[in-house]
Amino acid sequence: MSDVSRKRILVIDDAALVRTYYRAALEARGFVVEEALNGLEGLEKLLLEPFDLAIVDVNMPRMDGMTFLQTLRAKELPVSGIPVLVTSTEAKAQDLAAARRAGANYYLVKPISQEMLAEYAAMFCGAPR
Amino acid sequence: MADAAPQITEDEFRRLADFLYRRTGMVFTEAKRYYVERRILDRIVATSSQSFAAYFAYLRSGLRDEVEHLINAFTVNETYFYREDHQLACLSADLLKERVATKKPGDAIRIWSIPCSTGEEPYSIAIWLLENWKDVDAYDIEIVGSDIDTRVLDAAMEGVFGKRALMRLSSELIGRYFHELDDERWQILDDLRQSVRFSRVNLIETKETRAQGRFDVIFCRNVLIYFDDESRRIAAENLYDSLLPGGFICLGHTESMSRISPLFEVCRYSGAIVYRRPQELRA
Amino acid sequence: MPLIRKPSSPVESPAPDGRAISELLATGSDDERWNAARSAPMHPDAVPLLAAALSRERVERVREAIFTALAKIGSSESAAVTLPYIRSDDAAQRTAALDALRAMPAAAAEHLPQLLEDADADVRLLACEIARAMPGDDASLLLANLIAREGNPNVCAAAIEVLTETGNVASLPSLAHCAARFPDDPFLAFAIKVAGDRIGSR
Repeated sequence: MSDVSRKRILVIDDAALVRTYYRAALEARGFVVEEALNGLEGLEKLLLEPFDLAIVDVNMPRMDGMTFLQTLRAKELPVSGIPVLVTSTEAKAQDLAAARRAGANYYLVKPISQEMLAEYAAMFCGAPR
Repeated sequence: MADAAPQITEDEFRRLADFLYRRTGMVFTEAKRYYVERRILDRIVATSSQSFAAYFAYLRSGLRDEVEHLINAFTVNETYFYREDHQLACLSADLLKERVATKKPGDAIRIWSIPCSTGEEPYSIAIWLLENWKDVDAYDIEIVGSDIDTRVLDAAMEGVFGKRALMRLSSELIGRYFHELDDERWQILDDLRQSVRFSRVNLIETKETRAQGRFDVIFCRNVLIYFDDESRRIAAENLYDSLLPGGFICLGHTESMSRISPLFEVCRYSGAIVYRRPQELRA
Repeated sequence: MPLIRKPSSPVESPAPDGRAISELLATGSDDERWNAARSAPMHPDAVPLLAAALSRERVERVREAIFTALAKIGSSESAAVTLPYIRSDDAAQRTAALDALRAMPAAAAEHLPQLLEDADADVRLLACEIARAMPGDDASLLLANLIAREGNPNVCAAAIEVLTETGNVASLPSLAHCAARFPDDPFLAFAIKVAGDRIGSR
């Protein structure tokens, strides 16, 4: 039975350990967490179930984070407006700019502490685009 | 393993679950834990592995298709009529509607079932369309069933099925499309048997897939999941090549292109995920 | 009964020959270049042709087909041609190259030791993922050696991710040593703990 008062977050990252780390942080805060390991799987899960936030890494196989974001925003479906936090090991200005152009709501540079992740997730869940 | 009731630890379970998730997309929730553990233990015994670690190393090595054996332990691979019928519903309600938007009456619609095994899938498509698609008479519908195994193709051409294969069909449907032979076997009516073309095709041989021409819709269920990375890429390209621009491909319900290829667009229709070869861009 | 249609006869389409392939790869339409790339593995000397085509190719689908052809050939040469693309500034190109290398694990494995020592941290990071497909304990050994001395925490994280799957008890000391070298990195501490638990001691 789904608890509609709980926000649902989709964590999209190629690394199982990263997903596990984020899941621990987010579940401790009361979020429901689902996982995907590349942009294509992320898109599929967003199309099938409702989510309040997506956290997506830039570097993933088959479909990277930027392509995921561009494809999502271009779809013109209700889910296309979901808030998206982009994570990356890169901190260069052009990468931030590229993420903003692709439609990211925010950009977090790895490594990210569990506290910070949970804070940003709480901040962006349900935020309008 | 000498213990009477060998267990798998939580960490061992997660390690294997992560491996399978990465490979296949299958997610093992806590609810399924006991069931999955028993299957893993079965495989440990079947491979005479001395420990979970030894089994896991063997699994990773790719020797003797152990990954395939393990996946088969979790999936019901039986074929029967109207299996995964939500995809058939999607076909008549959504996919064909899209395809015929740019066709005129009398135009061809080509549908491919690969692998077709003993024929349940292509014949199911035929019956479903006759029963559920109001425009079934308006177009020239060609259904092709292909498989790498000539024995199953021979059986498909014969079109004889037992009770289990027909278990999802109403007696009305059976009466309409089959005639009963002796001892609980039914044969597809000749008209329908003749309307499906069967051919031997190896999905990773481009020459063979190309010879079948291009299709509006392809059903390629429960085979790509068993291929290694290289074969998946080649098969995906062959399938792309075998689709008309804007054509659709349906995979098995536990399968996903996210593990196979970036070539296709992902679409959602009637609660099903379907993949599409992009439409041709206007020059 | 409707739905009956005279079955169509199979379509014959001959594969292009070697000279035609090189021409098509250079000057053909998107479809022609795509098909030429897919036919290339049949011919000797395909690798240089594919390499040249790859350096010019802007259409993603064709680039994917070129990479698939290189993976199918799976020689040391085809891996060598693919490798430079993991350094690309374009994330999609890096991704495509990495996927191709994953599909030719034996050929890629030869290059792994030097990739793991590359001056570029991003290359070392991606190289860890290539190690995942390596046979036996070879991957674990290389990655354990890496995390013993690697200074970049994101590279360590990538190596630990793969070690969680491929590692054995011999990997444990290196993991512990890595934890000691990065006492303030919360993710690494978490990752190393999980990796250690998963590798276990049974």
